Amino acid sequence: MLPNSFTFLAFFAVLAVVYYGIPHRFRWPLLLIASLYFYATFDPRYLFLLLGVTAVAYVGGLLLARESGAGKRRLLLAGCVVAVLGALLFFKYWNFFADSAASLQSMTGIPLLPAFPRLDLVLAVGLSFYTFSCISYLVDVYRQRLAAERHVGYFALYVSFFPKLLAGPIERAEPFLQQLKQPIRFSAAGVSLGLQLMLWGLFKKVVIADRLALFVDGVYGQPAFASPADLLIATYFFAFQLYCDFSGYSDMAIGASLVLGIRLMENFRRPYLATSTREFWGRRWHLSLAGWFRDYLYIPLGGSRVARVRKHCNIMVVFLVSGLWHGAAWTFVIWGGINGLYHVVADLTRGLREKVRTTIPLPGGLRTVLGVLITFHLILPTWVFFRANSFADATTVFARVAGSAGSLPALLPTRLLAGEILVSLALIVLLLGVEILDERRPLQQRLARQPTPVRWGIYYGACLTLLVLGTWQLQDFVYMQF
Amino acid sequence: MTDNHSPSNSPFNSSFNSPSDPTVNRPATSDNDLPPTPTVTDEVDEIRSFLGRAGRFVLVGICLYLAVYLGAEWLVYQTAERNRFFTVKTAAMNDYDHVILGASHAAVFDYRDLNTRLEQMTGADILNLATEGSGVLLNRVLLEYFYATGHTSDTVVYVVDSFAFYSPEWNEVRLQDAELYARAPFDPALTRILLGHPAGRPVLLDYLTGFSKINNADRFAPDLFAAEGPRFDRVYRPLAQIDRQRMAFLYPADIDADTLQASPYLAAFTELIDYVQARGDRFIIVRPPVPSRIYQMIPFEPEFDRTLRQVAEQHDVELHDFTAVNNDPGYFYDSDHLNQAGALQFLQRYLGPVLQEEED
Repeated sequence: MLPNSFTFLAFFAVLAVVYYGIPHRFRWPLLLIASLYFYATFDPRYLFLLLGVTAVAYVGGLLLARESGAGKRRLLLAGCVVAVLGALLFFKYWNFFADSAASLQSMTGIPLLPAFPRLDLVLAVGLSFYTFSCISYLVDVYRQRLAAERHVGYFALYVSFFPKLLAGPIERAEPFLQQLKQPIRFSAAGVSLGLQLMLWGLFKKVVIADRLALFVDGVYGQPAFASPADLLIATYFFAFQLYCDFSGYSDMAIGASLVLGIRLMENFRRPYLATSTREFWGRRWHLSLAGWFRDYLYIPLGGSRVARVRKHCNIMVVFLVSGLWHGAAWTFVIWGGINGLYHVVADLTRGLREKVRTTIPLPGGLRTVLGVLITFHLILPTWVFFRANSFADATTVFARVAGSAGSLPALLPTRLLAGEILVSLALIVLLLGVEILDERRPLQQRLARQPTPVRWGIYYGACLTLLVLGTWQLQDFVYMQF
Repeated sequence: MTDNHSPSNSPFNSSFNSPSDPTVNRPATSDNDLPPTPTVTDEVDEIRSFLGRAGRFVLVGICLYLAVYLGAEWLVYQTAERNRFFTVKTAAMNDYDHVILGASHAAVFDYRDLNTRLEQMTGADILNLATEGSGVLLNRVLLEYFYATGHTSDTVVYVVDSFAFYSPEWNEVRLQDAELYARAPFDPALTRILLGHPAGRPVLLDYLTGFSKINNADRFAPDLFAAEGPRFDRVYRPLAQIDRQRMAFLYPADIDADTLQASPYLAAFTELIDYVQARGDRFIIVRPPVPSRIYQMIPFEPEFDRTLRQVAEQHDVELHDFTAVNNDPGYFYDSDHLNQAGALQFLQRYLGPVLQEEED
């Protein structure tokens, strides 16, 4: 039951009505049952994994709270993290390691590693997300920043809460559990806001992302046979497809949760308006994951309070691991590596850039626009590795576009005027327009100040566009694979 | 990476904490942050007020939806041509001599002006309802719809392909294919028929709400079969790899000699024969031309033909097997579909005379 399906919308509508129709004390059990049912609709076998990981984290948290010896606590934490992470490593990375070992062996001719048999494993959707939630909980309990949760139902709901289960946000335990312990009352403003968010998320996914996906998938499916102009257009389209796909899911998750009276953390903040790669990763893109890596990997490694070389190593480790988290393939590792290098180079050239900034003063607006354009075009080539089916495909894309750089300016205008591409371009312009407005003043505030007919007109416009232009052939969410 | 958490400035998240929106639930850090605890009565009142506004919003939305629905329905009548439900609904006559059923191998006989030519050759009125990728279930629904809309036919000619007997892909799944309903005009008769077929029920909501019509990405495009354009003039140069891909596309990998006998679609086919005969109409089975190399590749094809002959004998139905005639590779535009020249020759030499004979 994908969130971009009518089945989900019907399921959610019924759930919301029942939820507010029953006394508060029965609401969390209802949410827990609904969440487990939702997850089981993908494959009931996944439930065992979800419940297993939840049980380890729950019991681990209680044991950590009870134990006072530092050594024992450390050992306990390590054991629990290994158990939780082990599930992720086994189900997500086993075949990756097996293939890599086999490739290495065939290249060197030496049996460097014991033979890993390839296993017929199906990656449980959302596994990367809920294992990270559990790890953050365990570490927070270990650090004594959070009291271990004794209520098994609340804890199970924290891990399995259906709006965030498939692709985050990777919510921290403390704010979530706190909300469960407060009486959740119906709030018309909250529900309206939640529905607006769901509508906008669905719009981004169904109208923009999935439409762009039709073109991108065709081109990236066989890059050797696509024209260089199409490869270039598809690369730009993918940048927006991925953003609308993932942020669309996040908006739907946050919105659905808000309808149910539970607030989730923000995950995206208009990333393509970032004026530096540091800002892009630190304050705008996939914030819940960036925050997780910062708190549970970067800072434990020493963060930025270490020697410069060590700091740069820490940054590279974080980005390489982040790449691998996204997918069990070397293309993701390369993607992470390039983004890590951007950070390192930015750090190394900070003084130089400051000098240039003072030597060539630019008006603030122009500097922002330049910053946005440069940042976007630094991020853009990294998405090639993210999207390409293999390293060879990624190099094909670069080689073919670079090889035709001279003729592209003449070819592009004709291609861009093709009907379907033109509609996609118009949607991207619409998205960017909304984001720019939003950056200046929150859309919600703008909407709230409008008279009812205008607001309703906007909602109806969005709903009808969904119906008329939406691609409803149930495309998976990209990040569900991770 | 940054060590700092900047405060949210998202349109939506910022408003979570905005003073204008104090009622949204949010984690409280102390008792002072909490709004006054609403009573159950307050909550009920707020729900009632919200439902009132939501009801008005939905009501206006339904009116708008109806307007869009009517627009989509109007567009169907402007652009539809080959959609078989549209064909039945707008058929020029009530009484036909022959109705042709089948999949894409029979649909080619309606490409361009071939059906008109077939009518001229035979002097009969012919309605071709064959649809690409359609198995027995869709053909049954189409025929029932044909009868339900007051049409009659002396003969039902079913051009049989074996692939349609092995997989739900060409039956249940195809019957539920939204593409079929993107240009199907609204008709209570079709609603009743879909309701009467278990495989048709899942698509009923889509059909009734007109969602596929409203959401049709090709709403302004000409309603033609994919291969009806220049491709229909081509001559296919056989490539073993493409032939293999085609077979893998059409036939499930796990079929064996017993699959056909247990196939629910064979049973549905015999029921279709009974249904037609019970109405007093004639049923004719036609096997279309197949390139001999393809015939060799089709799994258990001789067994299929044997079974089909038995069915024909048991039901006293004519069977015209043209699998081994008119099958020169030059007559096909792809691995197994007749091109314009091949189809025309087949109609002139083989199918035309069969229908002519019936006519006489």
